[in-house]
Amino acid sequence: MGRKDYKDMRTFSLMVNKRGQLTLILIVGIALVAVLLVFFLYPRIKTTTTSAFTPTGFLESCLEPAITPALDIVTKQGGSMRPEGFFLYGGEKVQYLCYTSDYYKTCVVQQPFVKNQVEQELTVVMQGKTRECMGKLKEEYESRGYQVSGGTGSSQVAFIPGSMNIEMSAPLSVSKGEEKQNFKGFTVKRTSELYDLLLLSSSIVEYESTLGDSEVTLFMQYYPDLKIEKMKLSDGTKIYTLTNVVTNERFRFASRSLSWPPGYGVDNALL
Amino acid sequence: MRYFNWCLMIVLIVAGVSLVGAAATVCCEKTTSGLFCQDVPAEQCASDSRSVPSACSSVSYCKPGVCYDSNEGACVSNTPEIVCNANNGIWSATSPPQCSLGCCILGDQAAFVSLVRCKKLSGFLGLQTNFKKTIDNEVSCILEVQQQDKGACVYEFEFAKTCKFTTREECSLGVNGTDTKGSFFKNKLCSAEELGTRCGPTKNTICVPGKDQVYFVDTCGNPANVYDSSKQTDKDYWTNVKDVAESCNAGKANGNSPTCGNCNYLLGSVCRAATSETARPSMGATICADLNCKTTQNGKAYKHGESWCVFNDEGDTGNGINSVGSRFYKHICVNGDEVLEQCADFRQEECIEDEISTTLGTFSQAACRVNRWQDCTGQIDKLDCENRDRRDCFWKEGVKLAQYEQNETVTGTCLPLNPPGLKFWEGAETQGICAQGNNGCVVTYEKGLLNKEEKCIDNCECLLPLWEKEKSEICRALGDCGPNINWIGQRGYKPGYNVSITKVKSED
Repeated sequence: MGRKDYKDMRTFSLMVNKRGQLTLILIVGIALVAVLLVFFLYPRIKTTTTSAFTPTGFLESCLEPAITPALDIVTKQGGSMRPEGFFLYGGEKVQYLCYTSDYYKTCVVQQPFVKNQVEQELTVVMQGKTRECMGKLKEEYESRGYQVSGGTGSSQVAFIPGSMNIEMSAPLSVSKGEEKQNFKGFTVKRTSELYDLLLLSSSIVEYESTLGDSEVTLFMQYYPDLKIEKMKLSDGTKIYTLTNVVTNERFRFASRSLSWPPGYGVDNALL
Repeated sequence: MRYFNWCLMIVLIVAGVSLVGAAATVCCEKTTSGLFCQDVPAEQCASDSRSVPSACSSVSYCKPGVCYDSNEGACVSNTPEIVCNANNGIWSATSPPQCSLGCCILGDQAAFVSLVRCKKLSGFLGLQTNFKKTIDNEVSCILEVQQQDKGACVYEFEFAKTCKFTTREECSLGVNGTDTKGSFFKNKLCSAEELGTRCGPTKNTICVPGKDQVYFVDTCGNPANVYDSSKQTDKDYWTNVKDVAESCNAGKANGNSPTCGNCNYLLGSVCRAATSETARPSMGATICADLNCKTTQNGKAYKHGESWCVFNDEGDTGNGINSVGSRFYKHICVNGDEVLEQCADFRQEECIEDEISTTLGTFSQAACRVNRWQDCTGQIDKLDCENRDRRDCFWKEGVKLAQYEQNETVTGTCLPLNPPGLKFWEGAETQGICAQGNNGCVVTYEKGLLNKEEKCIDNCECLLPLWEKEKSEICRALGDCGPNINWIGQRGYKPGYNVSITKVKSED
C-alpha cells in the first residue's frame, strides 16, 4: 500500500514538472517576442513620445555640433580664430591681448574689448552654419506640409551672464491651411559662464597694462567659481588660463608686460 | 737678493659672442607679427604700416588713452588710439565723463560701474536701473546694499497672491523690473503662513548668487533660511529671517556636511551642487563644498586662497649660491587644487611669504617680487649693502673684488643674496658680469744668498686651497659664473674657472 502511494505521487510530480516546463517555455517565448517588438518598434515609439516640434529646438540641435568646436578654438587662442600677434605655446597659437617688445615697460593693450572680439569671431564662424540650419528648418516645415516664406537674414553671437546666445534675425512665415505662424527671428541659447571669464580677461589686461602684472589670488577671492593659472615663460610672456571650476569652461590668452631681461639686459639693448 | 713674483689669476670661462651694433628703433603702427604700436627696428614693421622714428608714447596714433565702449559701458585705459578705433571704441586722452563710476544697485547686490554698464547689468537681471552717482567708492557701494531692508514682497500675479523675497526698494519700485508693486514685510520669508501666499516650505535647497551658504528654497523659488536639516519642519524657521550667525554651526566651514549648509568662504567652503566628489546632503542637491587643500606637494594642508613659496630645484637660496636654471615658485590653494605660478625666470623675481595670524589660525600669503640684485657689487659699505629696503644683498667680510683691491677703506664685498641667472650661452654681458670675479694675487718669494731654497714671505695665503675656494664662491655669487651645479644637480663639464700661475718679475 505504502509503495503504491509512492508510485502515484511520483507520476503526479512528473506531470507537474512537464506542465511547468511548458509554462516556462511559453513565458520565455512571450518575453522574447516582447523584447523583439520593443527592439523594432522603439525608435517609432520614441519618435511619437518626443516633445512637439519647435523651430528653436530644431535650430539648437542643428547648431550645437558647430558651436562646441568653434568655442574650443576661440577660447584656446585668446579670442581669435586666426590670431595675428601670438605666442606659440605647446604648438598652439595664443593671442597677446597686451604686449610690449621692451623690457622694464608695461604693455600696450592690443585688444581692449575681449568679449566683443569673441562675439565677432564666433558670428563670422557660425554664419555659414546658421544659414544652413535655417535652410534645413524651412525644409523641415515643408516636409510637414507647411508653406514657408522668408527665413533669410543675419545672425549674431552674444554673451550674457550665464548664457551664450545666437540671435538670428531671419523673419519666417509658415502656414498650413488656417494655421499661420510668423517669426521675427530666433534666439538659440546655450548655457555658458564665458561672459564672466571674458570680462575678467579685460580686467587682467587692465592690470597688466597699468601695473605690469596681476595678482591672481585677489581675483580668486572675489570669484569663488574661478581658477586662474598664470604661466610665466622665459621671454617674459605670461599665459593666463581662466577656468570656471563648476562648468569647466576655459579662456586662455597671452600677455607680455614689465618683463626683466637676464642679467642687466645689456645684450638686448645692443641687439 | 732675488725676488720671485708670482701672479695667481682666476680667469673665468665664458662664452664669447661678438657684439652686434644696436639697430635704430621706430614706433611701428603694426609689426610683421601683427602687434600694434611697438618700438621695434624698422625692418620689423609691416609693409603697409606707418612708422615714425620716435617712441610710441609720443606718436599721436599710438599714444595710450582711454577706450570707451558705448554699447557695454566699459572703459579700458592704456589703449592706443589706433587699437581703440579698430575695435569700434571711442578714444580719448583722458578719462571721459561716461567712464565715471557710481554705485549700481542690483537687488541685494551692488556693482561699482559706469551708468551705461549699470543699465546693461540691470537689463540682464530684469531689474530697473538704480544708479547712485553720489557714491564714489566701492566700499560705500557695498555698504549701501548691505544696509537695505530685506523681506517678503507680496503681490498679485495672474489672479493669485504670490511673493518675492527681495529688498524694500524693489518691492516699492516694481517687482522683476515690471510696474507691479507689492506689500513689503521686513524680515519675513515668503513661506510665512501669515502672509497667505501660495509659497510654502520644501525639502529643496539652492545656492544664492553672491552668498556662500546653502539655502532652503520655497515652492515659489525664493530662498529661505540657511539649510539646516533639523529645522525643515520648524514653522518659525520658515516664517522669519534668521541671521547666518544664528544658523547651524556658525563660524565653521561645514565642508561636506550633509545636515548643515552654513558654508563660509573665508574658511574654505562654498555652496555648490553635490557631485560624486562631494558628500551627499540629507536634503536637496546642494552642499557646502570643501575648497581647502588637504595634501600638497610639501605635505602640508592649506586653506583655500592661501599661497606659499616653493623652491624644488637643487641647491640652496638666499646665501649667494643658486643652481644654474633654478627659479622660485609660488603655489596657491584654489578650490581644493594646488596651482603653481612661476616667478620670473633667470631669478629676476624671488618668492617671499609671510603668515597672517587670525583667530582661526594662520593664513599664508606669498608673492613673486623683483630680485634687487643689480647694484649689490657697487656697495662698499656693509650697512648700505644690507639695507633690505633698497636691495637684496649680503656682505662678505675680508674678501674684495678686484675693482676695490686698491681701496683701503673697503673691507669686504657686497654680493646678491640670490644671484641672477644669465644667458651665458649667448651675448657678451655674462662675460662682463662674471669678469668682476677675476682676481690676481702677487705672492712674494725670497731667496737667501747661501740658501737657494725660495721662501714665501708675502700673500702666502693665496697659495692655499681656501683662497681658491673663496674666489670661486664670489664668482658664483655674481650670477651663473664659476663652478656650479644646474637645477637638476648636475655639475658642468668644465671646472668653471681657471687658475694660472705666472712669473711676473724677478729682481736681484
